[in-house]
Amino acid sequence: MTESLKTHARRSPIDAWITAHATATTVREGMLQADILAPTAATDPTVTLSEYSWRRRLGLKGPAAEQWLAAQGYTVPALGNHWAVTAGVLVARLATSEFLVEALTPDAQARVRASAQTLYGVTRISDVYPVARHDLVLNLHGSALETLLRQICSVDFAPLLASASDAQGPLSMTSMIGVGVVAIATRTTDLPVLTLWADPSFGLYFWTTVLEVATELGGGVRVHGLN
Amino acid sequence: MMRLPPIKGEWIDRNTPVDFQFEHTAYTGLRGDSITSALAANGLHIFGRSFKYHRTRGFLSAANHDVNAMMQVSANGRSTPNVRGDVTRVASGWQISAVNTRGGLHKDRFAILNRLSRFLPVGFYYKAFHSKRLFPWWETMFRTLTGLGAVDLKSAHRTTPKRYDFCDVLVIGGGPSGVSAALAAAEQGAHVLLVDENPALGGSGLYAQAGDPSIAAATEAVCARVLSHPRIRVLLSSTAAGYYADHWIPVVTPEAIVKVRARAVIIAQGAYEQPAVFRGNDLPGVLLASAAQRLMYRYSVAPAQRVAILTANAEGYAAALDAVSRGLDVIAVLDLRSARGTDSQALADELTRRGVRLVVQVEPVEAIVGRTGGVAHLRYRVGSTDTTLDVDGVWMSVGFAPANALLHQAGATMRYDVALEQFLPDRLPVGIYACGKVTGHYSLAARMSDGERVGISAATRLDQTEPAPSPSALLAIRECPNHPYPIFAHPEGKEFVDFDEDLQIRDVINACQEGFDSTELLKRYSTMGMGPSQGKHSNLNALRILAKVRGDSLTEHALTTARPMYHPVPMAHLAGRGFMPERQTPLDADHAALGAVWMPAANWRRPEYYAIPGVSREAAIAAEVHAVRHGVGLIDVGTLGKIEAHGPQAGEFLDRVYTARYSNLKVGMTRYGLMLDESGVIIDDGVIARLTAESFYFTTTTGNSATLFREFGRLATWWGLPVGLVNLTGQYAAFNLAGPRSREVLAPLTEMDLSDAAFPYLAVREGHIAGIPCRLMRVGFVGELGYEIHLPFDAGLDLWRMLLESGKAQGIRPFGVEAQRMLRLEKGHVIIGQDTDGVTNALEIDAPWAIKMDKPFFIGQRSLAILAKQPLKQTLVGFKLPASATDRPRECHLIIDGDRIAGRVTSVGVSPTLGHVIGLALVDPTVANRGHFQVRIDHGELIEATVTPFPFFDAAGARQKIGATP
Repeated sequence: MTESLKTHARRSPIDAWITAHATATTVREGMLQADILAPTAATDPTVTLSEYSWRRRLGLKGPAAEQWLAAQGYTVPALGNHWAVTAGVLVARLATSEFLVEALTPDAQARVRASAQTLYGVTRISDVYPVARHDLVLNLHGSALETLLRQICSVDFAPLLASASDAQGPLSMTSMIGVGVVAIATRTTDLPVLTLWADPSFGLYFWTTVLEVATELGGGVRVHGLN
Repeated sequence: MMRLPPIKGEWIDRNTPVDFQFEHTAYTGLRGDSITSALAANGLHIFGRSFKYHRTRGFLSAANHDVNAMMQVSANGRSTPNVRGDVTRVASGWQISAVNTRGGLHKDRFAILNRLSRFLPVGFYYKAFHSKRLFPWWETMFRTLTGLGAVDLKSAHRTTPKRYDFCDVLVIGGGPSGVSAALAAAEQGAHVLLVDENPALGGSGLYAQAGDPSIAAATEAVCARVLSHPRIRVLLSSTAAGYYADHWIPVVTPEAIVKVRARAVIIAQGAYEQPAVFRGNDLPGVLLASAAQRLMYRYSVAPAQRVAILTANAEGYAAALDAVSRGLDVIAVLDLRSARGTDSQALADELTRRGVRLVVQVEPVEAIVGRTGGVAHLRYRVGSTDTTLDVDGVWMSVGFAPANALLHQAGATMRYDVALEQFLPDRLPVGIYACGKVTGHYSLAARMSDGERVGISAATRLDQTEPAPSPSALLAIRECPNHPYPIFAHPEGKEFVDFDEDLQIRDVINACQEGFDSTELLKRYSTMGMGPSQGKHSNLNALRILAKVRGDSLTEHALTTARPMYHPVPMAHLAGRGFMPERQTPLDADHAALGAVWMPAANWRRPEYYAIPGVSREAAIAAEVHAVRHGVGLIDVGTLGKIEAHGPQAGEFLDRVYTARYSNLKVGMTRYGLMLDESGVIIDDGVIARLTAESFYFTTTTGNSATLFREFGRLATWWGLPVGLVNLTGQYAAFNLAGPRSREVLAPLTEMDLSDAAFPYLAVREGHIAGIPCRLMRVGFVGELGYEIHLPFDAGLDLWRMLLESGKAQGIRPFGVEAQRMLRLEKGHVIIGQDTDGVTNALEIDAPWAIKMDKPFFIGQRSLAILAKQPLKQTLVGFKLPASATDRPRECHLIIDGDRIAGRVTSVGVSPTLGHVIGLALVDPTVANRGHFQVRIDHGELIEATVTPFPFFDAAGARQKIGATP
């Protein structure tokens, strides 16, 4: 094998958008991310989009999926359509035996990456079915969040946003601008944050469309999220 | 000027003048004025022309319930048709003109049509279009004569947002009953959304005062509490235009349609005041009494100076008192009834004290036009004595029609209440409530009381599944507000029932006599209620005439249901922001950079081919084909459906879904899959790979992936097979590296053993390419040595680039869908959906190798067994044309046998490899067996095609199995 061809980068579902708009980039967990955007977003945006596709994550389903997660030391929500965060790792129970796991903090990335290598490795785990998760992940945040959501989704997000927590809560699986999403509401500031996971093949459409609506509402992109 | 002294609650700002033009003449209004009030304040009384006869028209309802005040407004470089003058606030700089005129409002050339009305009988359209020969002539004439506003195609595109909203209780209507209901519901803890079509709450509670300010004060007090209530949101200048299942209500705001989902809906839209029908009732200056009240109190405009009021209820006397209170001269109050009711009498006494002449038992004869084009005289009859009054305004207050369109749409049943002479809701659907005038409550106190009761009921019954009790029993009716038959025919006609369509009494009678004597037939034949106002002022009177002609009563008839949107909605609102979900593979940007010419593929876009500057499309595609046949090519196939099935019974599951057998498929091998529906029709195909004893990975066609994944889940549940299904369609990239030199390109990037012995044709392997975990399948769709590579989405772009880089020495080039279609056509491989259609069964494509009838079961098996006993109706055959042929058929061209259609071409093209036209066709087997057939090509020419076996190229499949020397 030619050595020069052996390395590759993880690509964001909105890699083309980042390439077109970022004046400076950075690499997080092997994925190219915008560091500075041109033109810069509104100085005091009413609603912001931040991308987190770079986070390490894994998906799995099957009769032994919950057991495998527990054996890996993850805290699994007892109820379906709920999520919980422990030690910087989010575990979302999408169905009785289907899960999404994502490292939220820098410290947790290595742990989830290792779990993913085990899960997606050639050696199959009995009754555990790996589910690839190369999703577009984005956070929506700001005073105009509900206004934005009411232009892009027919579901009333008020109850979900009211349940926003930094530890656990319900999740919603719905269609937004024609794309299936998983949504959870967290709260680290006075306003809730809505995190969405979407199929990467819809990534560019989803990102640009939501951004277009957000921009009309006085919002924009926050490249470094709330951190 | 007709502006009245200031009054509390008026909507205008007297300190801010607004300069505008109407019909090229400059006028000044005040901020807050509607177009209607601003024109009326300037003393204008002709606002437009009628639709059919081009009669002059003034305003009628001042409430956007009629079509008389529709305007064309030009402002800020945009010309907007059919602006509702009654409710649109005029702004500085606007240039306003009437719609539906030729030569301007006052010199409308089509006014001649008014004199030709006798030649335009009811059902004229149907009668005219009855002749096929004259159809085009009539069509041209109608298109020239009719139409309302003009669409300005040069106006800037306007994007309207798409919005949703949610609430516990949606209250539609902000009059006294609506605000009372909203307040009561909110007090119970419900989150309330209150919608009203006006720019302020209060409805008739603020303008129907009978000269008594305390009525407005009581309404204002409730409105103030509503506006300050933390659980009530108010949408003003907004119309609830329809009702859809599960309490979806499209609310048309000035900016957009808001789709409101409510847990309960209260309809408190009041009632539309109805005109009396008599000769000249459409003259400018003849208007509804409520319209006059709206102008006097909201805009402080006097619609007239000398008024006669035609009435049949207490509301007419109240309007007279309002006019007197605002300083107008009420010449007479003319009551159609023989005696006044209790409420009317009290108001009549007050009018008598103020010197107003009162007359009963009146029959209006005609309103007569004056020199200015407006009404100048009103002639009426009492007994046998005719009297003519000199007036400049005639106000009509003879009854109401409940605004119950939404109740109809929601499924409420109605009954006609004879005592009230009004349709009332009888049974309401779950979660639907009604209050106020729509339920027969007319006094302010009754409306507020009814609203409060209903508001509490709606808020406290949110989760109940039983409908609410029938609307409250009417309080004792002190006085009926509705005249049973306010319709007075005149020998010379021109008594208008429907102002939108210029329908007169005789039109309704004639329609009935021609046999269209039911509500639905009458509507369609006469176009009654089919204009922009949707019969708000005409349906009830038409029904009264119909009942009279038939000799029955309204209790035996029902009003037609005005469908959503029952009120006109701007087209831009209906369009809204378009969300067109489009999927992209991770290679999308690189395809564009390579010159991809795109084609849609379901909700993806794929490169049809890669354009080469200075090279034709055909040549570019041929070059791509050549590269694959003689070197190596790379195509993005990431749009294919990609699914995993896991579990000990996954093989059995696939055996049931597809026609071949997979439970015996060796680990590490693939097999073609053909999927049928229950009738044996082919619906999809793909490649099934066995990764482990209990794990399969398989593909579906691009367009069917989402549908089939859902169907697989349903089938697994139905069959009780514990199969774990994983949809990887969007999560995986995929491309096909194909061509005799493909192995040379791939080998430097992987440590996998690519030899035929280790990785034979139809095998599947998992390994790493350039450090990326991949699945490789040696499949031969294009008939060459090839590797279909599936890998994580986030690594797709890099590997694509690496393969193109690695293949430079071999002359690698990307190829698109068109080249792939030709390559597979040369191999005779079928494309489901192109070489098959919605009725093609599996026997007709002659693929017995893909169908295992000896399996216990697969979907469509039973039907195939039956079909196998019958002769084939069509069969898929190959055909070719000689290289010398200059004309060639195209896909879907028909195969002709004598005077009948014997089939169609499904795929065709000039094979770059073979040098002549090849194709596939679904043909009648008897025709196919002759060895040749005729195809009708463009312009009707017939060309001869020769049936030939397929594959057309490398029939033994040697190239794909072991590769070939370039």
